[in-house]
Amino acid sequence: MSAAAALRIEHPAALPAAGIDYVVVDRLSKVYNEGSRQQVEALAPTTFTVKAGEFVALLGPSGCGKSTLLMMVAGLDAPSRGTISVAGRALTAPRAETGIMFQDPTLLPWKTALDNVLFPFQAADRGAGPKDAATMARAAGLLDQVGLKGFHHHKPRQLSGGMRQRVAICRALVYEPDLLLMDEPFSALDAITRDEMNLVLMKMWEEHHRTALFVTHSIREAVYLADRVLVMSRRPGRIIEDIRIPFSRPRGLEIGETVEFNEICGHLRGKIQHVPH
Amino acid sequence: MDPEPVALTPSPAAPGGAFRLVDLLSSPLYERLRPLLLPAAFGGGLLLLWQVLAVAFDYPKVILPAPSDIWAALVTDFGAIWQQTIPTVRDTLAGFLVAALFGVGLASLLGFNRLVRDAVYPLVVIIQLVPKIAWTPLFIVWVGIGWQSRLTIAAFIGFFPIFIAMMAGLESTDRSLVRLSRGLTATPWRTFWLVRFPAAMPYLFSGLKIGITLAVIGVIVAEFISSSEGLGFLILKSAALLRTDLILAAITVLCVIGLGGYGAIHAGEIAVRRWQGE
Repeated sequence: MSAAAALRIEHPAALPAAGIDYVVVDRLSKVYNEGSRQQVEALAPTTFTVKAGEFVALLGPSGCGKSTLLMMVAGLDAPSRGTISVAGRALTAPRAETGIMFQDPTLLPWKTALDNVLFPFQAADRGAGPKDAATMARAAGLLDQVGLKGFHHHKPRQLSGGMRQRVAICRALVYEPDLLLMDEPFSALDAITRDEMNLVLMKMWEEHHRTALFVTHSIREAVYLADRVLVMSRRPGRIIEDIRIPFSRPRGLEIGETVEFNEICGHLRGKIQHVPH
Repeated sequence: MDPEPVALTPSPAAPGGAFRLVDLLSSPLYERLRPLLLPAAFGGGLLLLWQVLAVAFDYPKVILPAPSDIWAALVTDFGAIWQQTIPTVRDTLAGFLVAALFGVGLASLLGFNRLVRDAVYPLVVIIQLVPKIAWTPLFIVWVGIGWQSRLTIAAFIGFFPIFIAMMAGLESTDRSLVRLSRGLTATPWRTFWLVRFPAAMPYLFSGLKIGITLAVIGVIVAEFISSSEGLGFLILKSAALLRTDLILAAITVLCVIGLGGYGAIHAGEIAVRRWQGE
């Protein structure tokens, strides 16, 4: 069954009040190789919602199905059961208005940083072409904002890992998506670069303020970035905790030193490590 | 476990201004030219040895002409050789172009459509296993003994490596790039044209390099079988006249043609790689 066909099992009652519940995930589950002896339940039936403008982190150990869940919300993977709706519409295929960041920067190696940022306009019709002056100006502006002034015409090979992931942030934001999906985008980076990238992402998010769903296995990253943290159990993943992060924005990295921050982290760590198998 | 300390003896000072081979061999210019110089020196040495042996043992020129004899044939019969070079080069290039067009075209079609791929690809691989030269007489029956059969054979032989390399390139495209493109709601056609096709370029070039050398082979074989022109024809005629020197002169020209074709594709490959950011 194709991804689109499987996603079409729609739930008419899932229509959210506009602007309130933006992403509605209803009893969504994923079983690989269903019916065969290699059957693996990656995601147990999961239900949650993300409100418009909210930054939600999905936190869980490796292999808990959180990436699978995100790919289903992106329309890139078909659910086994359950439904997803975004902005009031049932999800049946990738949406043109969703921005995605993967674990790897996934840049086209033969394109410059700027052309990679413009790639979404080349890949599909988004009202303006990649050569459109306003589009190009916006792409260039985004690259400047993430600190890549002077690197617009560099090829990915000439950039560091952190710089490449910055290009990927710009590419995900350039067409002004209403929903930003991020799948452990900084997991391949070293701790220092990762802190830096969290700051960049935070700044970009505070400016553009999109609804965001961010998958991570780093407790501190989740608490630092998110308004709300959903904790997932080990495979088959399900949500075992849903907490609100009280820090006001804009947030600096120094909130990581506060007692409250560390108490929240400790609480979440306890949740993850006392998960019944 | 320490190695025995070695007493360092100072090297004797070089006499001022004297030429030293060591200096030359460590110069940056030598390092740059080394990939050319070494094989050229080795090849030149072999030619020299050949020349000395042929002269010293006074070998019959019909059996083994000396390099100097081959050079003499090249110079005196230049007009005849040149006349036969033109059709060979023309048919090779035309055959290669057709091979590249069909190879890239069919691979793209198969890479684009899974159903067509699964139906056609195994058959192409099986046909590929038959020695391609064996088809030559059949092509002559089908398209006649003119340039058409030479072009067909060159295209037929050159097609397979190009097709298979392009196929491999399309199938090895980074899946995450394809997923990105899909996530950005690109149509399959745009994903193919913007992501998979450029990603296959390095593979394509390795196929083109084999394709051009095979196209030359195809043309020469076709000229052997039925032709009244071309270097293959010249070689066959020279053999009948026991002009061994002329055969080797024609082979020398073929060598230059092969090098030229290969070099041109290599230059194209470097240009594409530079464009691809390597």
